[in-house]
This record gives sequence, structure tokens and C-alpha cells, in this order.
Amino acid sequence: MGLLNFTRDPVPEAVSGDMHNLNQLSAQQFSDLTEVLFRFLTEPKEVERFLAQLSDFATLNKISLGPLKNIVKSILLVPSGALKRNLSSEQVRADFIALGLSEEKASHFAEQWKVNSPTLTRLALGQTLMINQLVDMEWKFGVTAGSSELEKVGSIFLQLKLVIKKGSQTENVSIELTLPQFYSFLHEMERVKTSLESFS
Amino acid sequence: MAAPGPGQLAALQVLLKAPSKDAVRQLCQECFSSPPAGLGPLALRTGPGLAVSPAEAEQLVSALHSLTRHVVYRGLARAEDILSLFPETFHQNLKNLLTKIILENISAWRNEAQASQISLPRLVDMDWRVDIKTSSDSISRMAVPTCLLQLKIQEDVALCGNSPVVSALTVELSKETLDTMLEGLGRIRDQLSAVANK
Repeated sequence: MGLLNFTRDPVPEAVSGDMHNLNQLSAQQFSDLTEVLFRFLTEPKEVERFLAQLSDFATLNKISLGPLKNIVKSILLVPSGALKRNLSSEQVRADFIALGLSEEKASHFAEQWKVNSPTLTRLALGQTLMINQLVDMEWKFGVTAGSSELEKVGSIFLQLKLVIKKGSQTENVSIELTLPQFYSFLHEMERVKTSLESFS
Repeated sequence: MAAPGPGQLAALQVLLKAPSKDAVRQLCQECFSSPPAGLGPLALRTGPGLAVSPAEAEQLVSALHSLTRHVVYRGLARAEDILSLFPETFHQNLKNLLTKIILENISAWRNEAQASQISLPRLVDMDWRVDIKTSSDSISRMAVPTCLLQLKIQEDVALCGNSPVVSALTVELSKETLDTMLEGLGRIRDQLSAVANK
């Protein structure tokens, strides 16, 4: 096997056997299976649904579920490596052919890859590490009417509650700002927006 | 903050023994700023300078604290209002001096009271930077701008006394989060203008 685009590591032994089995499927069957796979890749949280659809496919096409799952595991190696390395659809097609898949099926998969890659890329970007991600902001403002030291106050206060994701938990941070601080904060955030937009 | 009674204010007359007007001024400031718990030590420091007994010093400091705090609490701004607090028999010149000192300081004292008010932790500073993420374990090549915002937050002043605790919180915002935040901040600004224009 020549150099592959999607990985530098040696491919598991079972893969060529799985590709051979895939070649036995009809074009329609392969197309249906590909559809199930991409639906899972674009919605990775729907594991239950994915397994149910695989099971239906197995039953419909009179294939045992166990071997089918192994085949699917082998196939999925390619898109996951391809996503990490920003591969083009030609490279994906070339890799499948190098692994032993027929040209026709490799082209079909590469075609589907091209169609789905914007969604898949966006998903992968969304998984990129973020430190103390701000997930929500609540606010209230009001007037301080009086205090133990001042009978009549009449000053405006602004309170922000920031909800921050720290690891798998969220933490709430409440802060108070004076009016000048608020305007300064707003001004700075607008500068940040301009900066972010110039880099997008 | 109840008005100091005439009996209590009579104790202020030991100030006639003060070495200078500035000494009186200084003492007024210290008595206003001191929390009730600090008045004892303050009296001990002040007594010797005025050649009065510890008991008289305590009464003096306590009366001055009550007087200054009361004026600030009620927001008295006119000389007549302050003068009327003193008993009839009070020494005229001292009464005028004290009133003058209080009026000079009243807006600074008001700000001091507001600054030490109880509140949620306060924002004291903010800094930001924009990074471009070029690579990660999930995608090897990308160009995603992101914002890091550092907020310096000071815990409640009343709890910290003279050594305020400032903590720094660094938060990351994506472009979408920032847009949503700006929307919220914009709404706050609109509501603030609506309130101001009423």
C-alpha cells in the first residue's frame, strides 16, 4: 500500500478485508450505507439513531450486524483523518482506492465528502478548545435609592452575571459596574468586534 | 444615622484646645472616615494632643463621627441646616469653623460613602486581545479569530477593609458570542438613554 493522505500510521490489517466486503455490495446498497454514515458524521450526537439505522440496513440487506459494524469502523477512519488534515475530495478518493475500494464506490464516497465537508468542518471547528468560554450573560440595572450611610442616593448601578464554562461545569460570576465603566466596556467590546471582523 | 443630640455635641467644645484650625480639619476627616470600631483607638491617639482625659477624647471623637456622618446621610448642604444642629450655648466661632469644614468636605465625603457602599464584586479593570487559531487537534489548518477578555474584579470593599482582594478572570469569546453580547449591551444602552431622557 502506498502512502496514504489521511493518516501516517499503519492501517489495521482488517481494513483491506472490510474494503473487499464493501466491494461486494451493489451500487445502491453502498449509496444507502454512505447516506447513513454521513448522517451520523454531520450529527455525531445521534448515536442511538445511527445504530438503529445500521441495524435496519443489516436486516434489509441480509448482512450480519457484527461484521457490518467492523466495516463501518474501517470506513470511518478515512473521513476522520481527512477532516483533521483538510483533505480534498480527490485525496479522499485516492485513499479509498489505495485501501482496496472499487473506483466507482471510492468516487461516490468522495462526492458525498465534498458535499458534506462544509458542515463537517464547522463541527470540527466547534470542537476546538476554548478556555473559560463565555456561554451566557444576564444583566440588570437599577437605581440605588438609599443606603445606611446616605439617605438619598439616586445613582445607577449595573449588574452583569457571566456564565462561564470551566471544563464540564459552568460557573457564574456576578459583577457590578458604574455607568462610566459600562460605557467604556461597551466601547471596548465594539473595538473587539471590529478587530474580529477584520480577521474573518 | 440619628442626629447627634445637643448634649453629645457639647463635647465638641474641647476642640477649642486644638493647636490649629488644620488640626481640627484633620480630626474631622479622621472621625468621618473611621468605622465605629476604629473610634476607640482614634480617641487614644487624639487625647494627648488636646490635653484631655481619655473619656473626654472618646466623647469628642464619637460626637464628631456622629455629626459628620449625620450631615452626609441627610445630605445637608446649607450652612443654616448644619448650624441648627448645635445647641444654643455652643461657642460661636467654633460652630462656624466646624460648619465651614464640613461644607468643604461634604461632596468628597459623599463620594467616599458611595464608594464604600456594599455591592456585588466590582469591575475595576478590563483588557482584551484577539487571537487567530491556526491549528488544533481536530483540524490542522484553520484561521478562526477569537477574543480573550480579562476582567479584574474586586471583592466587596466592606469585607476587605484596607487590603482589597482583586482577582483576574480570563474569558474566551467566539465571534458569535461577542455579537450576542453586544446586542445585550446595546439594549442596556438604549434603556439607559430612555431612562435619562424621561
